[in-house]
Amino acid sequence: MKMEEMGREHEQSMEINSHHHSEPLEDSEIKSWFKRTVWSWIFTIPIAIFMLSQRLFGISLIPENYLVAVLLILAFPVVFVFGFDTIKGGLRGLFTFYFNMDSLIALGTIVAYLTGIFSFFGIVDDYSGVAGMIMAFFTTGKYVESLARGRAGREIKKLLELGAKNAKIIKGKEEIEIPVIEVKVGDVMIVRPGEKIPTDGTIVKGYSSVDESMITGESLPVDKKVGSNVIGSTVNQDGVLYVKATKVGKDTFLAHIIELVEEAQGTKIPIQKLADKITSIFVPSILVISILTFGAWWFFTNDISRAVGVSVAVLVIACPCALGLATPTALMVGSGMGAKRGILIRKGEAIQTMKEIKIIIFDKTGTITKGRPEVRKLYSTVKESYLLEIASSMERFSEHSIAKAIIEKAKLKKFREVKNFRVLRGKGVEGTMGKNRIIIGNKLLMNENKISLKDFEDKLDNFENQGYTVVIVSSDKKVIGIIGVADNIKEDSARAMALLNVKGYRTIMITGDNERTAKTIANEVGIKEVIANVLPEDKAKKVEELQKHGMVAFVGDGINDAPALKQSNVGIAMGTGTDVAIESGDIVLVKGSLTGVVQAIILSKATFRKIKQNLFWAFAYNTIAIPVAVLGLLHPVIAEIAMALSSITVVVNANLLRRQTI
Amino acid sequence: MKIKLKIEGMHCASCASNTEKSLKKISGIKEASVSLMTKKGIVESDAEINDEELKKAVARVGYKLIGIER
Repeated sequence: MKMEEMGREHEQSMEINSHHHSEPLEDSEIKSWFKRTVWSWIFTIPIAIFMLSQRLFGISLIPENYLVAVLLILAFPVVFVFGFDTIKGGLRGLFTFYFNMDSLIALGTIVAYLTGIFSFFGIVDDYSGVAGMIMAFFTTGKYVESLARGRAGREIKKLLELGAKNAKIIKGKEEIEIPVIEVKVGDVMIVRPGEKIPTDGTIVKGYSSVDESMITGESLPVDKKVGSNVIGSTVNQDGVLYVKATKVGKDTFLAHIIELVEEAQGTKIPIQKLADKITSIFVPSILVISILTFGAWWFFTNDISRAVGVSVAVLVIACPCALGLATPTALMVGSGMGAKRGILIRKGEAIQTMKEIKIIIFDKTGTITKGRPEVRKLYSTVKESYLLEIASSMERFSEHSIAKAIIEKAKLKKFREVKNFRVLRGKGVEGTMGKNRIIIGNKLLMNENKISLKDFEDKLDNFENQGYTVVIVSSDKKVIGIIGVADNIKEDSARAMALLNVKGYRTIMITGDNERTAKTIANEVGIKEVIANVLPEDKAKKVEELQKHGMVAFVGDGINDAPALKQSNVGIAMGTGTDVAIESGDIVLVKGSLTGVVQAIILSKATFRKIKQNLFWAFAYNTIAIPVAVLGLLHPVIAEIAMALSSITVVVNANLLRRQTI
Repeated sequence: MKIKLKIEGMHCASCASNTEKSLKKISGIKEASVSLMTKKGIVESDAEINDEELKKAVARVGYKLIGIER
C-alpha cells in the first residue's frame, strides 16, 4: 500500500474510531500492563523468596553455588521479555538522544542484570535478582498508574461513548433502522420515548420533553415542539418525535464538544513550562549524576558492588513521570468535570489566568438577557399600525434581534417597498419609502441626523427608566413614534451576579443601550457598573482600557463579541451563541447560563490548585529522593517502589479533584 | 494549517515531550503539542507537510502514528 493510501485509510479509521467507539486505547493499555504485571510476579516472587531467605536470614533454599544462576534465569524473562517494550524504548532513547523515562529503567535493570554474569568472575556482587524486582515493581507501578489515568479520563470517555449507534429513519413509507453514520442531512428520524435522538435535527412532527443533561448539564428536561432544534445523543422523554436531521457526523454538536475538549488536553498551561523544561533535561542529568555517584563511591569506598548498587538506585528513583503527569492529569480530570456540567475548557491557560481575574465584563444581550427581545410599549404620533408597518418594512432587512422583535410584533403580510436601505451598525437603519426618508434607530442616530427629540424627552425618559431599549422612528426628519423593546433577563443571572459580587469581583455590563436603560437592567440583575452606548466594534477597546486596572474576563455570545473575547484575559463564550464567539472563547458554557460563569471560576481555581499541589509533590519528591539515593541510603528495590508510588500519587491526587463541588 | 495526529505507544511524560520535539524539527511546523492523556497531537504548520514526514518524526522517537486528520 502506498503511503498516501495509508494516510487516507488512517484518516478513515480515525473517524470511525471517534464515531463508532471501538475499544478505546486506554483499555488495551491497561490490559497489556496487567498481563505483564502478573507474569512478572510469577517469576519475581520466587526470586524474592530465594534472595531474601539467603541474604537476610542465611537460609539456603538452593545450594549457594547455583543461586546466582537460578536468579539470572528467573530474572531474564522479567527484564527482557515482559519488560521488552521498556528496554527497547529505553535503549532507543539512549542511542537517539531522545532520552525518556524508560532509558533510566532500562539502564538500571540491564546494569543490575549484568552484575549477575560478572559475579561469576568475582568482579562484583550479584544484583540480577534486584533487576527482576525493579522491573516487576516498575511494571506494577505502570499498571496502577494506567488504571488511575483511565479514571482521570472517565468523563471524557463517557462523552465519546454518548453518541447513538443506530437511527430509525423513514424511507418511502417504511421505517428502517440504519447505523447513525449512514444518516444523511434531510432524513427524517423517528425517536420514541426513552430513545436517544441519533443526530442533530429539527422536529417536524410531534412534541415531547427532552433530557439534555448529558450535553448542557441542565438537569430539567426541555420542552420541544415542531420547529424546535434538538441535539443528537440527548434522550427523548415522553412523546414520539419526528426529527429531520440537520447535522451529521463531524458537524454535530456532540462532535464539536468532543473536539473542543480533546484539543484542550494538548494546550499548555504556563505553570507547566518549568516542569516541561526540567523533564527535557531530567533524564540526561540523572545519567550524569548516576555515573558520578558510581565513580565517587568506587573511589572512596573501593567497593565496586556498593558503587553499582547505589548508582542503580539513583537511576531508578528519579521520576520525571510525576513531573510530567502533574499537569495533564489534573487538567484531564478538571476538564472532564466541566464537560459533564456543560463547561468546556478550550485553553488550559485559562485555568491559570482565572485566579488573577479581578474584573468580569458581561455583554448584555444574549448573555445577561435571553437575547429574544420583545416590543413592550409603543408611543406614536400616527396610527400605531402605520408606525409598525413602516418600522417592520424597514427592519425586515436587518439581522438584529431588535429588528426581529418589531417584525414579530407587526405581523405584516405585505411589506412596503424600501429603497436605498442601509444598516448603520450599532445605531439603526435608514432607507427611503415612497418619497419619505425613513431613519429608525437610537438617540445617537437621531442626533447625528439632526432630528429633534425635544418634544419627546419625557416619553423617552419614561421608556428608558423602565429598562426598555428605545427605537425611534422618524420620517423626513420628524419623529413619528417610539418603540420600547425589552429583553427578558435569564432566570439565573441575578443569582450568578450575587455570587460573583460576594466573591469580590468587579462586575460590569457592556451594551449599546443608553445609560439609563442599561442602568435599569443592571440594577435588576445586581451588576455594579455599566458601560453604555458602546458600539459593537468598541467593545474590545473597552476591555483593553479596563485591563489597565486588572485582569479581565469577558462573557459574551455574539459575532461582535469575538474581538472582546479574544482581547480579554479569559474569554467566556455562551455556547448558545454564534460559532464565531465560541471559537474565540477560552471557556465555553454550553447551557448559556450565567451560573456557568461562577462554576467555571470555581472549577478553574480548583483545577489549578490541584496542578500546583501535584507539581509541588513531584518537585519535592525528586529533590529529596535523589540526594538520599546518592548518599547510598536506599536499596535499589526500595528506590524503585518509591518511584512507582510517586507517579501513582500524582495521578491519584488528580482524581481527588472530583471531591470539589461545583 | 492544523493537522491532528493519533499516536500509539507513548506512556510517559517524556515520551510526549520527545514526540513534540521531534515533530517540531520538521521544517514548516511552527507548533506541536502532544497529549499523553488523549494520545493525540496537533501540529500547526505554514507549509504543506506530507504524511511520510510526520510518520518518520513520530517513529524516530519510538512511537507509531496511527491516524492523520487534516
